[in-house]
Amino acid sequence: MGTSRTIELYEKFKVKLEAVSGECYRVKTAKEAGELVSKVLRQKGVQDVALLDGLISQMGNFALQLGEAGIAVKLDHFREVTPDVQAGISQVNYAIAELGTLVQADADANVDQRLCSTLVPIHVALVSTSKLIPTLMDTMATLHRLPQIPGFVGFITGPSRTSDIERVLTIGVHGPKQLVVVFVDEQEEGVA
Amino acid sequence: MADKQFKKKIGDALGNNVLRGALGRFGDAYTIAREKAYEGYDFKAIRDNIERVKSSAASHLDEMLDQFEKEATARGAKVYRATTGEDAKQYILDLAKSQGVKRIVKSKSMATEEILLNKTLLSEGMDVQETDLGEWIVQLAGQHPSHMVMPAIHMTKEEVADTFTNHLNRLNEPEISELVKTARVELRKKFLEADMGISGANIAVAETGTLIMMTNEGNARLTATLPPVHVYLVGIEKIVPKFEDAGYIIQALPRSATAQQITSYVSMVTGPTPAYYSDGTVKDKEFHIILMDNGRRKMYEDEKFKKTFQCIRCASCLNVCPAFQLVGGHVYGHIYTGGIGTILTNFLNSEKDAQNPQNLCLQCGKCSEVCPGKLDIPEMILEIRNRIGEKEGLPFTQRFALDVVSNRRLFHALLRTASIAQKPFAKGQPVIRHLPMFLSGLTEKKSLPTVAKVPFRDVFKTIKQEVKKRKGTIALYAGCLIDFVYPKIGEGMIVALNEKGYEVVFPEGQSCCGAPATYMGDRKNARICAIRNIEALEAEKVDYVVTACPTCTHALIDSFKELLEDDPALAARAEELSRKSRDISKLLFDLGGLSSGGDGEPLKVTYHDSCHLKRKRGVSAEPRKLLSATLGVELIEMNESDRCCGFAGSYSIKFPELSGPIMERKLTNIEATGADVVVVDCPGCLMQISGGLDKQNPKIKVIHTAELLLEKRKKSQKRNKK
Repeated sequence: MGTSRTIELYEKFKVKLEAVSGECYRVKTAKEAGELVSKVLRQKGVQDVALLDGLISQMGNFALQLGEAGIAVKLDHFREVTPDVQAGISQVNYAIAELGTLVQADADANVDQRLCSTLVPIHVALVSTSKLIPTLMDTMATLHRLPQIPGFVGFITGPSRTSDIERVLTIGVHGPKQLVVVFVDEQEEGVA
Repeated sequence: MADKQFKKKIGDALGNNVLRGALGRFGDAYTIAREKAYEGYDFKAIRDNIERVKSSAASHLDEMLDQFEKEATARGAKVYRATTGEDAKQYILDLAKSQGVKRIVKSKSMATEEILLNKTLLSEGMDVQETDLGEWIVQLAGQHPSHMVMPAIHMTKEEVADTFTNHLNRLNEPEISELVKTARVELRKKFLEADMGISGANIAVAETGTLIMMTNEGNARLTATLPPVHVYLVGIEKIVPKFEDAGYIIQALPRSATAQQITSYVSMVTGPTPAYYSDGTVKDKEFHIILMDNGRRKMYEDEKFKKTFQCIRCASCLNVCPAFQLVGGHVYGHIYTGGIGTILTNFLNSEKDAQNPQNLCLQCGKCSEVCPGKLDIPEMILEIRNRIGEKEGLPFTQRFALDVVSNRRLFHALLRTASIAQKPFAKGQPVIRHLPMFLSGLTEKKSLPTVAKVPFRDVFKTIKQEVKKRKGTIALYAGCLIDFVYPKIGEGMIVALNEKGYEVVFPEGQSCCGAPATYMGDRKNARICAIRNIEALEAEKVDYVVTACPTCTHALIDSFKELLEDDPALAARAEELSRKSRDISKLLFDLGGLSSGGDGEPLKVTYHDSCHLKRKRGVSAEPRKLLSATLGVELIEMNESDRCCGFAGSYSIKFPELSGPIMERKLTNIEATGADVVVVDCPGCLMQISGGLDKQNPKIKVIHTAELLLEKRKKSQKRNKK
């Protein structure tokens, strides 16, 4: 996963995401991702987190690692917990390098995916580095090639924002105030 | 014509410093930010794509709507076609009642504003919350959005704080980050309690039955995630054929609307998605889509307004509009504001509602230049103006003035009388303002020129033309201002064209090009002018027809053809005239430019682009090259060189209160360059800017390109002879 093409796409994504106040990291293994996320969330003073366990977080034993870091991990009942927890962790399907954009496109339009990424003040998004797509138009083509367009496709670019009062940019309105993106190089077993 | 009440609204808006400040700051920043957002992207290609996919969808509208319905239904959506706003409202109300809905959250939808949906739902005792911050503020304040994309742009943080304080019964400080926090907390409760969501959509994809929403705050995501009942209200113009077609709109909308590369969130919804119900179970939500016509089809079926279906509602036409920047959205009176708003109001509300706001358009064309849907908004507004003129007739004074202008003998006799009558008056004090035409006007902020002692048509007879190596003949079309106010410009044109080997003729029968009639909505008189000039100019007999007034050029090249399209014989002659007509700068350039010349004396000049020359003819580099090639001339570009000077023909008479501030901005930009001379290519701009500078900074002179070339080159010839 160290090809120059990947590095180029990642670098581009990082610049774009940081330009819209997002945080961007890249690690080799899922285990390292768990360590990083634990560290970052602790630094932010997070005490509890909603974890929508996916392939990366399972491979990296996130639940265990976060627990060891002293963070309470909620693994279900998201409708009740997400309005109150301090952070949410979920895996997203693609990342668009051109724009610094994450793409949620679960085939089952999982409602918990949206709860864990929208209601929480801090959203940590995990994404496989191999899922970097160069451009928006490539992404539209990729989605179009799926067996069917998933019921919900969500593009996320940085934290939620508004300029509705006097055109002054303010971060964090209805959605997250912080967005942390972690790219993981390690290939997921059985997932293309 | 604008009525008194409308004039008062304009006065109030102009007197509102908060509004002026907010709109001004945004307008200034927008142009630069928009350009930056498109950096590295081919805007022309993006808008070509949007035009292609949107116009193709519109021309197969029924097919597209059927396909959308079929696909969305196959995915589990319930699709309803609403012919009118009332139908849509009734459907939503019935749905809400049948589902026992009490609390509704809405994410931004102009279509629901259009049909005043909130009022209906509130009157049934339901709690309805707007959740876009700007819309929520406007809702709490009991107002309407003043801008499609930025609904509360007209309010200060102090006003927002007061609104929150009144509504929430606790003190809110005018601190923006705190106000946003308050909105988050208050609306979060509403989201979690809501049993129904109502949304609008930016795009509807026929191929897949997908709806696409673009927002920054996250409210559309929450509305699409939490409530177990969801209804989308979608205008039928939102449709695109294929899923990937939506990509072009996603490329353009955020860049054109708010100068962002992309909004924080883009949500694509295809059929019902699972939601949590109040009993804790997760299952597919009750999911409805209303495809609403409400006047849109009528708009499409009207040949002149077809292109409104290419609009993506980015509001960039508002953001660059000199008039909108001064008065804001509420003056327009209805939900949709600005240039596109005037057109939508005409069809979606009523023609009567568009009657006043259509007057606000300067016809400067800046909006068309930035429009990602390639709409010619000024042309459509002009069409509305014409239809009003035809239906209602113009007020007597205007009608009389235009009848005079289209009667050549009477009009010219009046102008000659004016030249004598003004003599006893002090310098620059214009009798001309009593003339029944666009030259009259208010002199509060600018001086007006006097009528020339000898009109160009008489000067012409005394000019000796020296043509070496004769190549052909060119007919000079002077237009009123050059003929009767600025004959020197005509002289400059002749010298330059002689140098290129052409003899210049002046067809005597020529008269006003009809633009004053055209822009006031009087197609009948415009047509009379067109016929007279076609007959007088006899384009068949010359190589070119040249003018030094871009508005006249536009008339000769475009308007005459349109006015006469129903008369085959005249249309053919109009076509011939159109083909041969050129603006002087463009013609000189096409003929290979002038040999290097000029007196070499240093002169700092700055160039003002006339709206009609740059945007109707695409001429902007040519005059600059002619100027730069003149020895001694140093060209210094001004900021916003292609921004309207505020003259706009009769506009400066109809709305001196708007024309004035627009001109002042131009003068400020001119002064900042430190130039000695402003060069223009339009006698109308010349009159406006020189009138303004005469009062504000008489040291700076204003001169037409042709006149500058004449002066600088004549002097050098004299010197050479010595």
